[in-house]
Amino acid sequence: MAAIWKCRYFWLSLVQMDLRSRYRRSLLGLGWSLLHPIAMTTVLCLVFPHFFAKADLDVHSYAPMVLVGLSFWSFVSSSMLLGCQCLFQGERYIRQFPAPMAIYPLRIVLGSSFHFAMALLVVVVLRFGMIGFSGLFSFISLLPTFILMFILGWSLAVLAGFVTTYFPDMQHLTEVGLQIVFYATPIIYPADTIKGNLGWLIGCNPLTPYIALLRSPLLYGEFPSLTHYLAALASTTIIAGAATFTLVRLQKTIIFQL
Amino acid sequence: MTSIDLEDVNLFFRVRQHRRIALKDFIVNQMFRKSVNPYMEVRALSSINLTIRQGDRLGIVGHNGAGKSTLLKLLAGVYPPTAGTRTVNGVVSSLFDLQLGFELEASGWENIAYRGYLQGETPWTIKTKLEEIAEFSELGEFLNNPVRHYSSGMLVRLAFSVASAIDPEILLVDEVLSTVDLAFQKKCRLRMEEMIAKANLIVMVSHDLELLSQFCNRAIWLDRGRIRRAGPTADVIAEYTAAMSGALPKAA
Repeated sequence: MAAIWKCRYFWLSLVQMDLRSRYRRSLLGLGWSLLHPIAMTTVLCLVFPHFFAKADLDVHSYAPMVLVGLSFWSFVSSSMLLGCQCLFQGERYIRQFPAPMAIYPLRIVLGSSFHFAMALLVVVVLRFGMIGFSGLFSFISLLPTFILMFILGWSLAVLAGFVTTYFPDMQHLTEVGLQIVFYATPIIYPADTIKGNLGWLIGCNPLTPYIALLRSPLLYGEFPSLTHYLAALASTTIIAGAATFTLVRLQKTIIFQL
Repeated sequence: MTSIDLEDVNLFFRVRQHRRIALKDFIVNQMFRKSVNPYMEVRALSSINLTIRQGDRLGIVGHNGAGKSTLLKLLAGVYPPTAGTRTVNGVVSSLFDLQLGFELEASGWENIAYRGYLQGETPWTIKTKLEEIAEFSELGEFLNNPVRHYSSGMLVRLAFSVASAIDPEILLVDEVLSTVDLAFQKKCRLRMEEMIAKANLIVMVSHDLELLSQFCNRAIWLDRGRIRRAGPTADVIAEYTAAMSGALPKAA
């Protein structure tokens, strides 16, 4: 950790460059990265409510709900997908400077976090427009959520990066895997819609508690339940443990695989 | 006290005959048949014992593929030794693979900062050095362009300027100056003399034997990953040259 902190200016400036070069290329700038989740939400809002028979699921409550889900999802998926390439991307530095390997996935997850923050800003504006400023106090509960999310994203990027270095087809497998997980996570539907046989799948999904942790304060002004925190903490600890183990075991020798 | 100690260091590369294998192949191979893409072990360095003390300037000579650059990367901490111990006291700064290590989309100025940060600079210390680095590189207007458009000589100029702007404790140099033009080479030599005067410890790889005998007080001759000869620069180089001229067919 101390070594990571020591070269903080290095990875911070790389993140800054990543963001800048991404926005430099497009006329719309920052808006461009927001366009995707917003467009997606709009499409879903037009189509999806027809599938749900529930009367209380109108567009007004559905739109912000989906937007929260999609923002979280793009954080997770971009951490993993970009994470796959992170060590190849950092190869030029790895070959010259013995900096800790964790900074390359960190670069990825910091970028994803920035985009997530932007998307969340839209959600918050939307929320104020809809339910006003009630329950603002519950926003405090987001702080531990963000910390957990950050650790989750970082760990996933570490794992994706190392595995892809050994097995280059991991990127494609990740894409397929993410597609499956996308539908197994209550992103475009409320968590309680699907019951029965598939219900357990959503219950086991380590991402499900995160959705609840984000939605409760953001959309309903409520504190999320402790169970969700514990579930998120447990699953994140396991994933972070795996990532730490990978780093400790492989970070010295990964250069031979590059 | 700056020092480098290598104790019975070995380095093996495990390389595959073909490219990396896909996960699906890996699973299939492990389950159903023996691997068709076995590991090969390459002995890059074997039983290296080396002690370099403060004030030493060590030159490394040897054929291509003798392990010179590998040894340097091991000293820098980029490669971990497979066996044996490596002890380094002091901050290492290295000049190798200079064309790598750039963000191609970023400008020359930005890349100066990135490389500076990796060498332990902070935004405040780098600011004071920025002008000096730019001036030394003589790249002028080009510094505003993305590094993508640079020639390899320009990249070396930039990298050398950054790397030599810090006061290194331990400096590792690999055959870097062959791609830049003569005028800049001269400048670099001068700068290197300055650095050598300041740096506590230098390890240098070069095929330019004249350069080595000018700068180094000790030398080693690497041959297929082993130290074949170590001693004062003049002796090692004399022996190396003798062996080389013996190996070459005499011109009729």
